[in-house]
Amino acid sequence: MTSFQSTLGEEEGIAEELAESQREISIAEFFEKNKHMLGFDSGARGLVTAVKEAVDNALDATEEAGILPDIYVEIQESGDYYRLIVEDNGPGITKEQVPKVFGKLLYGSRFHAREQSRGQQGIGISAAVLYSQLTSGTPAKITSRTKGSETAKYFELTIDTDTNEPVIQDESETTWERSQGTRIELEMEANMRARSQLHDYMQHTAVVNPHARLELREPKNHFKYERAEGAELPAETEEIRPHPHGVELGTVIKMLNATDSHSLRGFLQEEFTRVGAKTADSILDAFRDRHYGREMTWSVPREGVSEAVTDAVSNKSGADTEAFADALGEELADADRVSFTDIENAVDAAADAASEETGTTFGDTVRENVVDAVWTAVTENRDDDLYGFVDDATSVQKDDATVNGISWRIAEKFGEETPRDRLLREDLRDFVVRAAESIEERNGVTVGETSRENITERLWEAMRRVEDDVPLAREVASDRDAARDLLDAMTSVDVISPPTNCLAPITPELIEAGLRKEVDADFYAAATRDADVHGGDPFVVEAGIAYGGDIPADGTVQLMRFANRVPLVYQRGACATTQTLKGIGWRNYGLDQPGGSGLPSGPCVIMVHVASTNVPFTSESKDALASVPAIEDEIELAVREAARELKSYLNKKRSMEKRREKQNVIADILPKMAHKVSEMTDREDLVIEDSLARIMNNVLVESEVTEDALTVSVENHADTNADLDVTAIVDAEPSDVSAGSVVEMDGEYFLKWEPTVSGGEDAELTATVPDGTDCELSVDGVDAEKLTVNQ
Amino acid sequence: MSDITDAKARERLIDMAAEFYDQFAGGDIPHMDVPTRSKSNIVFDEDAGVWVYGDRTSTRSANSVRGARKLLKAVYTMEFLAQQLEENRSSTLRELYYLSESWDEEEAQFSTQSESNKLVEDLEIVSGVKREDFHMRPEESGAKVMGPLLLREQTRRGDRDIHCQEDVGQGGYQIPNDPDTIEFLDNGAEFVLCVETGGMRDRLVENGFDDEYDAIVVHLGGQPARATRRLTKRLRDELDLPVVVFTDGDPWSYRIFGSVAYGSIKSAHLSEYLATPDAQFVGIRPEDIVEYDLPTDPLSDSDVNALESELEDPRFQTEYWTEQIELQLDINKKAEQQALASRGLDFVTDTYLPERLDEMGVI
Repeated sequence: MTSFQSTLGEEEGIAEELAESQREISIAEFFEKNKHMLGFDSGARGLVTAVKEAVDNALDATEEAGILPDIYVEIQESGDYYRLIVEDNGPGITKEQVPKVFGKLLYGSRFHAREQSRGQQGIGISAAVLYSQLTSGTPAKITSRTKGSETAKYFELTIDTDTNEPVIQDESETTWERSQGTRIELEMEANMRARSQLHDYMQHTAVVNPHARLELREPKNHFKYERAEGAELPAETEEIRPHPHGVELGTVIKMLNATDSHSLRGFLQEEFTRVGAKTADSILDAFRDRHYGREMTWSVPREGVSEAVTDAVSNKSGADTEAFADALGEELADADRVSFTDIENAVDAAADAASEETGTTFGDTVRENVVDAVWTAVTENRDDDLYGFVDDATSVQKDDATVNGISWRIAEKFGEETPRDRLLREDLRDFVVRAAESIEERNGVTVGETSRENITERLWEAMRRVEDDVPLAREVASDRDAARDLLDAMTSVDVISPPTNCLAPITPELIEAGLRKEVDADFYAAATRDADVHGGDPFVVEAGIAYGGDIPADGTVQLMRFANRVPLVYQRGACATTQTLKGIGWRNYGLDQPGGSGLPSGPCVIMVHVASTNVPFTSESKDALASVPAIEDEIELAVREAARELKSYLNKKRSMEKRREKQNVIADILPKMAHKVSEMTDREDLVIEDSLARIMNNVLVESEVTEDALTVSVENHADTNADLDVTAIVDAEPSDVSAGSVVEMDGEYFLKWEPTVSGGEDAELTATVPDGTDCELSVDGVDAEKLTVNQ
Repeated sequence: MSDITDAKARERLIDMAAEFYDQFAGGDIPHMDVPTRSKSNIVFDEDAGVWVYGDRTSTRSANSVRGARKLLKAVYTMEFLAQQLEENRSSTLRELYYLSESWDEEEAQFSTQSESNKLVEDLEIVSGVKREDFHMRPEESGAKVMGPLLLREQTRRGDRDIHCQEDVGQGGYQIPNDPDTIEFLDNGAEFVLCVETGGMRDRLVENGFDDEYDAIVVHLGGQPARATRRLTKRLRDELDLPVVVFTDGDPWSYRIFGSVAYGSIKSAHLSEYLATPDAQFVGIRPEDIVEYDLPTDPLSDSDVNALESELEDPRFQTEYWTEQIELQLDINKKAEQQALASRGLDFVTDTYLPERLDEMGVI
């Protein structure tokens, strides 16, 4: 926009001219010109985003209807363009809603809801429709059938970018083999350069939604992602009200205008989460402080009160006055210090008491006069009280003269400027600052920032909160300053963290199930943290690790990032998840990490899921998590939890390997040694299994068949208990089996026995068998590396 | 004369193999116990007057990969030695090391010679048979002897009678690997003088010291070989000749004296056979360095460490040695025996040795 320096009178018409060409830009038109803001910057990217929006929608819709999702995605080449088809088994969309859902930007049920949801803005699928329309010129084709209807509805629609309204090009009834669901078909400019991102997106979606069945068919590949066995729909989330610490001024005012409550108290309790009676009262007290201020209290002079009363009361008899004065004296006797309001209350109480006693009424005027008089008496010597406070608040370094100087200056201000000595804190501070500056100028004594703050604090503490009624909700709604005071009060009061039933974490079991079905690995671990809060919004972080198996071992680990069950596929480097992971010392957990920082390397997949009612992203395209310390801390803790399991798995693996190595070497060497010594001594060949078992701290299981007895002996050379499952297979029927069971199958007899043998102990299973019976042993319950079986 | 026959030696080896066999048969973990060969396990045997191994043992066990390999090598070596004895052949320690490379069992091959040397020592100790009796020879040859001594040596090529002044050249008589093959026939000597360095030995011979004083001069050649020590002991025991030792004035040389007189740490199991307990130390003593103002070198860090280590060595914990070592640490100097030449080439044979030997009551 160019701006003109217009000299009045000469070029009057410019502003008008410009005004004529200005008009409102529709949302649709804005995004038409700013596609990159929503993830439609390039042909490759656009396709992925379109798939993402459609699949997210499908998942949300099916879940909400309580149906296990079954989603089909197909990408076809169509001349210069690509055709995207997404079908789901959801509840379908009604005839009335279809145009609005697909043909109107920023329309959706999710925008205002405070619960975890995939699309935080309802912009999603309609943006894809707009994009396809812009690039291919063809309308979107939507088929939808709701449960129980005979036929499906078919629409062809486009979006009018001037008005952000759907334009239905064609509408008809049609048959469809699905009994319910929705199908969208979009033709758009795209290319398959983003093939790997697309596959990643689908695979990651499968991992993080183990309850869903997905299918992707594209020109070169066909993938099926099956549902994990036993996976159920995620828990239903409940929408929660906002948290007092998570709202901004504009929102508060809006809420005040919209509420049904009259009183502020009611408003707070009704409209916010975690605000009960007590919290509401605390907030209102804090509000009073900020809105009304407090009243300074002064000590009650021992004498002078009665005189003040007497002087102030005219038209009453001496006796009555005396009664009044006495009553007042009594009221004030207990009080240490009093504020103006205290005096008012005391006078009222005394007047009432005296009235009862004497039968004379003490009217308002009298009372007011008495109050004024008492007030004068009380505030005659503000200095003294102030001296005490200032002395208290300042260090020993401030000498008498200084304390004095500050005190009387502040006293002066009270005297000059404040009826009732009621002040806001900032005004009180102002007094202190001015007094400090004055004394600095006059006496050259420095009263620094800390002292000023301490004095202000001490005085504020001595001041009493007022009991005035707070304004009504609608009054505050129209008073911006009051609303500001209310917001400040809300933020200053401690409020319990918001409830987490608005969140549906995946849970460790399903994280593992999801990883298991999509990643072929040897080891899986998962961790879900307790919910936490950032800026008034609850969130929960979960992490999962898969290691070994088919995961390629060279290069950095594979990272899967998720927000509200949606994979984040782009902008990996900018994401807070990536940054947090780079900062962990992975060597400690058994992964290579050159230089001690950065992403580790190894055959490993790490996944992180952040779920929140308000996930903070770095940009509108929602590719990367913004850096929020509370969230980053939780990410680190979740990942470390899972990594600890990885560490013990790797350690165990390593020690098993060492053991196996040792076993192999010794099993190689010992027979040779045995053979040599038998040669040298000219004795018969040795059987050395026993020696081997002993060396390897193994459990040794041996079977021996003598004339008519089968003995299976177990020797436990380790120092921990061994729980074994021993099966001896013999080819003739055994009898007299000790403490075991016999099962016959196909002419063979299976003797089963489950002994528990303590470390360093032996045990025996016996049975009677015919001479010459063959026996085959099979042992379970002890790792192969720790077991020696002799037969 | 060796008192162990080939047959007996072989029998001992078979017995050791049998022990391993029994361990296997009993389901035990095969192992071999050997006395710890360090200065913390040296004790003084009052009767023999020499230092022998104490009670501490190290165990080589098949429990670990390392131990299993050691035992395998031991067994292979035992077989080799038994074979060698049966064929009445002999070999050097170095040859054994190389030979092992030809064994088809890779795990049994030695990686260094010091490994095979140590193993042979292990077998010596455990079997109670000297390696000479296993027909194993070391590399180092025995000493050269010059003096009025007539001896007969049994060689493979027949017996030889040799006089160690008249029948030998300038170099003297070279002791064979097994000095027990020597028979002393006649001698005209008063004492035996063991000399550390070749240079000093040549000086003595050139100056006719052996002739003038009727001394049998034995050149130790640094740390003396077993053969040398054995011969020295025999000269003392059989010919009743006093033995004195003349070395450089530094801690390494004191050890040389120690191995002649006290027994070495590595072969303490053979001290009785090899040590000459009443051998005496001539010098160079630290007090000689002071008295004769000899040209010196300062003590290096390793010299100082060695001296301090000797203060802890039970063999040197006598009043005499403690005094000398502490004096040396004090003056922080060491001197070679050839430094005596600073007083003239003949000083050692004209003055130093006669004075010292007179002091010691040898001449």
